[in-house]
Amino acid sequence: MDIIKNFGVNPVLLGAQIVNFLIIFFILKKFLYKPILELLRKRQTTIKEGLKQAEEAKVRLEKVIVEEKNILRQAQIQAKKIIEDTKQESIEITKNMTNDAKKLTEKMLGEAKNQIIRESMETEKRLALKVSKLAVSFLEKSLKNFFSGSQQEEVLKNVLKKIKKTA
Amino acid sequence: MISFAPETILSLGFFPITNTILDILLVDLIIIGGIVYVYKNIALIPNNLFQNAIESIIEMFYGLTESIAQNVAAKIFPYFMSFFLFILLTNWSSLIPGVGTIGFREHDEFIPLFRGATSDLNLTLGLALVSAVATHTLSIKTIGIKEYLSRYFSFNPLNLFIGLLEIISEITKVISLSFRLFGNIFAGEVVIITVSSIFAFIFPLPFLLLEIVVGMVQALVFSMLTMVFMAILTTSHNQSH
Repeated sequence: MDIIKNFGVNPVLLGAQIVNFLIIFFILKKFLYKPILELLRKRQTTIKEGLKQAEEAKVRLEKVIVEEKNILRQAQIQAKKIIEDTKQESIEITKNMTNDAKKLTEKMLGEAKNQIIRESMETEKRLALKVSKLAVSFLEKSLKNFFSGSQQEEVLKNVLKKIKKTA
Repeated sequence: MISFAPETILSLGFFPITNTILDILLVDLIIIGGIVYVYKNIALIPNNLFQNAIESIIEMFYGLTESIAQNVAAKIFPYFMSFFLFILLTNWSSLIPGVGTIGFREHDEFIPLFRGATSDLNLTLGLALVSAVATHTLSIKTIGIKEYLSRYFSFNPLNLFIGLLEIISEITKVISLSFRLFGNIFAGEVVIITVSSIFAFIFPLPFLLLEIVVGMVQALVFSMLTMVFMAILTTSHNQSH
């Protein structure tokens, strides 16, 4: 007991130190460790969730890239097909148009030829009529000096007959 | 001459206010101030260095506890961390300029106003008793009273003898914990006082640096031993085999 006294052990002081430490212990536990540990756990959860989401996003991105490639490939195939079809169609349309144009040209040429023939026949008729008129007037004028009136009529009748025959 | 017993500055009835009590109040103020600062400024994304430092220390010590105590780490950690912080700050408080040097004379003897509290056996013994009581309480709570008692009492004479040795070892644990801390810090104070009395400038610096290290090592030794004792006593016989 003397040893303990020499070291200054005092039950009151010992109790005070124990109480003091227990108070500090509870304050530390409640206001320091608890909030900090909760915060650390929360942060860890947030980081884990973030990493998980990033991983999911990465997988989704990879899927989207693959889908994009497929869509592009399909689009290219479709575009090629469309171009091919269009080419084919245009060739057919050109062919049809050429045929139509040929037919139209032929028709127009035929009509033009017929018109030319018709017009030339009319012209010939008009020309013949004028020539016969001229010939009659010329004969009338020239026969006036050499034949009587009845003779003139007869000659004219014969000439007209001959002209009509030749026309 | 430095005495083992703390010097009484004044008495409040039967309660003596010693210089180590004043020192412990100073340490309490520092701890509570730190807690208030952290509690007020705590944020999910830390915005000050102090929170960063506290978080790193707590995370590191929690990891250490988990590596040793595994599933009872959450229960042991508050004791381990509190012992470490409290002892560390108390040990280092004796290195604050003025502690141990500012005081008054009484009967031709110098009485310092503040004295490192861990150089008072009342504190170290108190801490060791808290450590022991907490260890056994935690053990009963974790493994149950039956298994707890089976450590010390058995119908088998050999196991009963081992149990008796265990009881003695529990008592020696308290003595060794308290006297180790007290002895180291008290010796450090004696060294610093002696060296300072030889030449007060620059000469004591290496010893002060040594005391910083000793203070940290002793805090770590006390808290680590407490943690290990707790981890051992919270493990059932079946698990330990």
